[in-house]
Amino acid sequence: MTQRPSLALRALGIALLGFTIGACAQKPEPAPAKTAEVRPLDPAMLAFLAVPPDSLGKVIAANAGSKGTLVNVWASWCQPCRYEFPEIVRLARAYEAQGLRVVFVSADFAEDLPNARAFLAEQGVDWPTYYKVGDDQAFINALDPKWTGALPGSFVFDAQGVLRDSWEGKATYAAFEKRVRPVLSLPALPDST
Amino acid sequence: MNRTALTRAALLAASIVLVSGAPAGAQDAAPTALALGSKAPMATTKMKTASGKNVSIADVKGAKGTLVVFTCNACPYAKKWEERIVKLGNEAARKGIGVIAINANDPAVNATDDYANMVTRAKERSMKYAYALDATSDIARAFGATRTPEAFLFDAAGKLVYHGTVDDNCDDASAVKQPYLANAVWAVASGKAVPVAETRSIGCGIKFRAAKSAS
Repeated sequence: MTQRPSLALRALGIALLGFTIGACAQKPEPAPAKTAEVRPLDPAMLAFLAVPPDSLGKVIAANAGSKGTLVNVWASWCQPCRYEFPEIVRLARAYEAQGLRVVFVSADFAEDLPNARAFLAEQGVDWPTYYKVGDDQAFINALDPKWTGALPGSFVFDAQGVLRDSWEGKATYAAFEKRVRPVLSLPALPDST
Repeated sequence: MNRTALTRAALLAASIVLVSGAPAGAQDAAPTALALGSKAPMATTKMKTASGKNVSIADVKGAKGTLVVFTCNACPYAKKWEERIVKLGNEAARKGIGVIAINANDPAVNATDDYANMVTRAKERSMKYAYALDATSDIARAFGATRTPEAFLFDAAGKLVYHGTVDDNCDDASAVKQPYLANAVWAVASGKAVPVAETRSIGCGIKFRAAKSAS
């Protein structure tokens, strides 16, 4: 009778094998961009569109071909918003092929919209983004009734436009990545923290 | 399915579960805010005010009620609403509602939120109520406050009867249709029920200092 390896060793081997096969079956992992290569744009050329609360749902739903939508509410003067902004832009580029769509919505007042536009241009955001108009409460409820309204607010919607995750306060690239991967049907990354 | 295949499937599932972890970084949405009917937490904690006194929420309690507003110097929302808050606060103070504004922000994030600027702002705006410094941000944490400005109104019995925003139009005072906080304050001052008890608006996240918790 042949000596069989211990059950523990076999279990480990099977688990590792299973995990490797699972990982290889996925699309190639997006390479995290080390330094964001930002191409500043002409502010006047940006698509920066007003969105009233009752149109938000349509914006989220207009997701032809995408698997998930990350909505980030920010403002040009909001320091934590500005801090995390380049990380989100990096994420948008890294996960575009995986079906992620990022919808930035500025909560700037009318007089600050030129600053918001300038910031978007600086950050090289070359896809349409939005600015909020209308009632705050309706806007909050259209995204997540549990949101207290504190900026920045981030919201993850699945392909059907159903809210799957949300948080407030600034976050890191790694945190954003962890929280969008599920709607993109991607396995969780090994925890690096 | 035979036992070996079942074991393999279970082990594979276990390995996947083991490598996934809780998201790091961002705070989850909506830390639990004070529920309606609650008493003011940390009500006896003294805070330094813009006028140089040391005052607690209990110290400013009014015969008819108490208004606590978390606000700051730097936030554009707080600044746009400031005149309305001060006007309401000054009038409420005359009608038996104790008023205290609290700045819980860490000035390391924005120097405009430091104590010196609180002193200046209180004078500039002629605040007739305490503008207090929550030096650890713990009072804001205890209230579950998350943004500025954010108002908590307590009735004569010290129970929370209104929590939320000032009105429905931060940008344009002349276009306000629902002066939520004013309505609530006058209701409480006359012993009536508050018409709309909980409201929300966009605001700047409170810049909490790190919690020094023992747990």
